[in-house]
Amino acid sequence: MLDILGTIAGNILSLPGILGLALGMMTRNLLVAAILGGVVGVAETYIFSGFDFARVEPLDLAIAIGVGVIAGCVGRAIRVRGATV
Amino acid sequence: MANNDSNEKRPGFIRRIWNGFWSPSGVLSLGFLLIAGFLGGVMAWGGFHWALEETNTEEFCISCHSMTKNWDEYTDTIHYNNHSGVRATCPDCHVPHEWQYKVKAKIMASKDLYHEIIGTIDTDEKYEDHRLKMATAVWTKMKKTDSRECRNCHSFEYMDFTIQETRAAADHQKALDEGKTCIDCHQGIAHGLPTGYLERYETVAEGLEAAK
Repeated sequence: MLDILGTIAGNILSLPGILGLALGMMTRNLLVAAILGGVVGVAETYIFSGFDFARVEPLDLAIAIGVGVIAGCVGRAIRVRGATV
Repeated sequence: MANNDSNEKRPGFIRRIWNGFWSPSGVLSLGFLLIAGFLGGVMAWGGFHWALEETNTEEFCISCHSMTKNWDEYTDTIHYNNHSGVRATCPDCHVPHEWQYKVKAKIMASKDLYHEIIGTIDTDEKYEDHRLKMATAVWTKMKKTDSRECRNCHSFEYMDFTIQETRAAADHQKALDEGKTCIDCHQGIAHGLPTGYLERYETVAEGLEAAK
């Protein structure tokens, strides 16, 4: 349980959470925001595995994508709520 | 007849803060907000990182009573005392350097505070009862990560086998050839080994191999 919680927290404070949120704030389209966040999740897992997909843990990848998608959607919500453009 | 706005119910405190938070600023320029946001971000991130690093020191680790026994064991090893004076402290072996994995390790270490409070390993007897379980957790992590924390300092690529002891050089060459990782041989490198450690380690290694 702590392993999963730690992975989630690590992703929130790492690229999927922060860059995903920032990219989500760049669009008003929910799907685009979610995709951007998901792509960041995949990219981050790939980078941290030493650019070797064979070393990617499926659970880590799933959590990174999930956090990225949620962060992207939250970023999009911030854009819609807090900007007129 | 004009509407009488004064009859409308005034929003609650939290709602007013929420509305104010999302309202455009009427007195601050975009530049001010950007610079203030940047400075606030630097201070918040710097403060967070500083606090995290404060928990990443040997002094912090051994400030808990539960750490007394493993600290004593560690001080008898070459990672504490050696001819060169280069040391590997608690976080060097137990906390990853990579940011994401470091945060994960810190979250997982929160359970240590709970066990310190309830005294899970506050006597030698209790410590021995839990030694195999604790060691298994560390071995599993080391094996899964190809001994990532060891490799922050040690690397096969830069080992000069010609100046190693004959047995060590032969074993390191064998490990290199067979794709083994540090923890496969060095389970008790910094702390005492529990009874039945070899059988347990083989179980861990076989379990991880089967999961691949």
